[in-house]
Amino acid sequence: MKKHVWKKKIVPYIFIAPSVILFSIFMLYPIGYSLIMSFQTSVGGEMTFNGLENYKRLFNDAIFLKALKNTFIILVVQVPIMLFLALILAVLLHSSLLKWKAMFRVSFFLPAVTSLVAYSIIFSIMLMNDGLMNQLLEWIGIGKIPWLSHPFWAKVSLILAMTWRWVGYNMVIYLAALQNISEDLYEAASIDGASKVRQFFSITIPQLKPVILFTAILSTIGTLQLFDEPYTLTKGGPSDETLTIGMYLYQTGFRYFDFGYASTIAYVIVVLIAILSFIQFKVSGDER
Amino acid sequence: MFKRYWKWFALVLMPVLVLAACSGKQSSTDDKGGESSEKIVLTAWAWNVNVGALNEAMKEFQKSNPNIELKVEDIGRLDVYDKLSTGLAAGGTGLPDIVLVEDDRIHGYVNAFPKGFVNLSEKGFDQYKDVFPAFKKDLTSVDGKFYAMPFDAGPTGMFYRTDLFEKAGVKAEDIETWDDFLAAAKKIKEATGAFAMPLDKFKDDPIFRMMLNQRGIYYFDKDGKIDLTNPKAVEAMDMLKKFDDAGLIKDVDGWNGIVSATVDGSVATVPFGAWYYGTIVDQAKDTNGKWGVFLLPSFEKGGNRAANLGGSSWMIPASSKHVDEAYKFLEFFSTTKDIQLMAMEKYGLFPSLASAYDSELFTSGVEFFGGQKIWELFANEMKDIPTAYYTNDYAVALDEAIKAQADVFNGKEPKKALEEAAKRLKDRTKREMNTY
Repeated sequence: MKKHVWKKKIVPYIFIAPSVILFSIFMLYPIGYSLIMSFQTSVGGEMTFNGLENYKRLFNDAIFLKALKNTFIILVVQVPIMLFLALILAVLLHSSLLKWKAMFRVSFFLPAVTSLVAYSIIFSIMLMNDGLMNQLLEWIGIGKIPWLSHPFWAKVSLILAMTWRWVGYNMVIYLAALQNISEDLYEAASIDGASKVRQFFSITIPQLKPVILFTAILSTIGTLQLFDEPYTLTKGGPSDETLTIGMYLYQTGFRYFDFGYASTIAYVIVVLIAILSFIQFKVSGDER
Repeated sequence: MFKRYWKWFALVLMPVLVLAACSGKQSSTDDKGGESSEKIVLTAWAWNVNVGALNEAMKEFQKSNPNIELKVEDIGRLDVYDKLSTGLAAGGTGLPDIVLVEDDRIHGYVNAFPKGFVNLSEKGFDQYKDVFPAFKKDLTSVDGKFYAMPFDAGPTGMFYRTDLFEKAGVKAEDIETWDDFLAAAKKIKEATGAFAMPLDKFKDDPIFRMMLNQRGIYYFDKDGKIDLTNPKAVEAMDMLKKFDDAGLIKDVDGWNGIVSATVDGSVATVPFGAWYYGTIVDQAKDTNGKWGVFLLPSFEKGGNRAANLGGSSWMIPASSKHVDEAYKFLEFFSTTKDIQLMAMEKYGLFPSLASAYDSELFTSGVEFFGGQKIWELFANEMKDIPTAYYTNDYAVALDEAIKAQADVFNGKEPKKALEEAAKRLKDRTKREMNTY
């Protein structure tokens, strides 16, 4: 009898054991090891501890600070634009007046499915000096824009590319959330004489608040880890103007072989994400 | 009480045990004592045309060493480096017996991982010291010890379209200095609309590097001091700016951009290493007979016109279980004249092995290049190539130089841009900086 109870207790652990083991090997171990590495530096090919030296170096590193600044500029400009666009699209596509809904939904979502590298390459071909965009602009009479080589326009190009890719993704999340808002609210508002715009700001947005918070946090994390777009579009150039923290991490690790310092950068990104997510929770006044 | 918890303890411990098992050294599979009758499979990482050359050489090698086989993994150039770096950082796990590394990265790898590669001098490679040109020897050895076996080199030349030059009434033989070339390029642009050269203006700086090398300087000097502010470097950057101001540089996107500019005839000249021959012959088949080569223009009349760009060599990771076999094969590969000639004839890989240059292949004309004896031209160039000092901070220096170039093309004064780059480099590498 006693043995039977004991068996019952152990069974669940046997079932979760495979995932616990895999999680430990592929998640816990690398996470832990890179934390240790962030306090190490390579001396003659051997990793040796050097205390907080890497962290000190980081905050005096002009290139890291520039990458940080670039990343924040992209974050502050791109994420609100993208989320607002996604919200508008979602509301339009949710409207009962629209026909061919499924087709529109799929075509707006499609960019999120394409391979990161493939779309970056297409964008770089479109945006290069004699690319499609410039030919079009010349034809209209505006003239060429140095999309990828000017400090300002290179950032614009990155933001364009990212917005193109991720608007549809966020739109789908909003669409799903929109279906949960009760029609009664809109009906009541219509009877009270509220316009569609007023309804959007007074009903839709407040009702979607938790979902907007969710997408904002996801986008923040995504932007802080941004790598593919600058890597294929601009290589971080011209002159580091589009270098992101993610790219700097890669360069430090795999081009300069400074794995310890790269781990330090990785941990700083983690801390930044934690702080930003916390702030977003606070700002949105979510008590949960 | 105690009994209730031990299973818990086991669960926590299990992953640790698995990890320990994973990282343990496989001591049981050691087969150093194996005799020659045993089949040995060497693995190699390489990319592109090098793979074919390697396989073909192995066929020859097997005639006298039937027990050795080769498995070449054809992975992309940058993927090789990514895998190599991670493998070395993990203490040599999962690395092959042979790996191809470009010359400009050798010093970086050996300095970052001093125990990562086999010291070839200890294996006796010093006996071949004199069969390779001086600059190649400097690139493949660190502190006087060979760590890589020299393979292909990249003596530079200006690959040019003879038909476009003719149409503009420009003779390649008359171009001696960069100023001559600038004047000629303006003429060509006017007559044919073709740019002088393609360049990924904001992401790469090969022409700048060739100019530095031909003048006997580089990002660093012999003692490893930062040398970007050298007046000669400033002059080189000035020259690039002159070409750009005159609208003679075609801004392209990466390697593919350069190749398509070569193929569609929108540039009249492509300055590159000898290995670019293979790409032209391969990609621009329609232009057969319309190509020629002349040496890089010099900065002053009668100045040096020889430089090197690119080229690669073979390294043996120290974790290899078949070091001796790998050494034997690579020794055969890099010091046998016929093998090197085969690699050039079939794959366009220009040999570093000096004894190869007196063979017939080098003295005959190339049909694709209108019968010009281009290989002779490159071979004669080899002995005049100055050494470029890459050091272990080359990757950082390259990034900073590219930034300086981007700044110049965006309007900054060359001298100022290079000074700023040198200062950034100093901050990042803690190296000394030359002042002029």
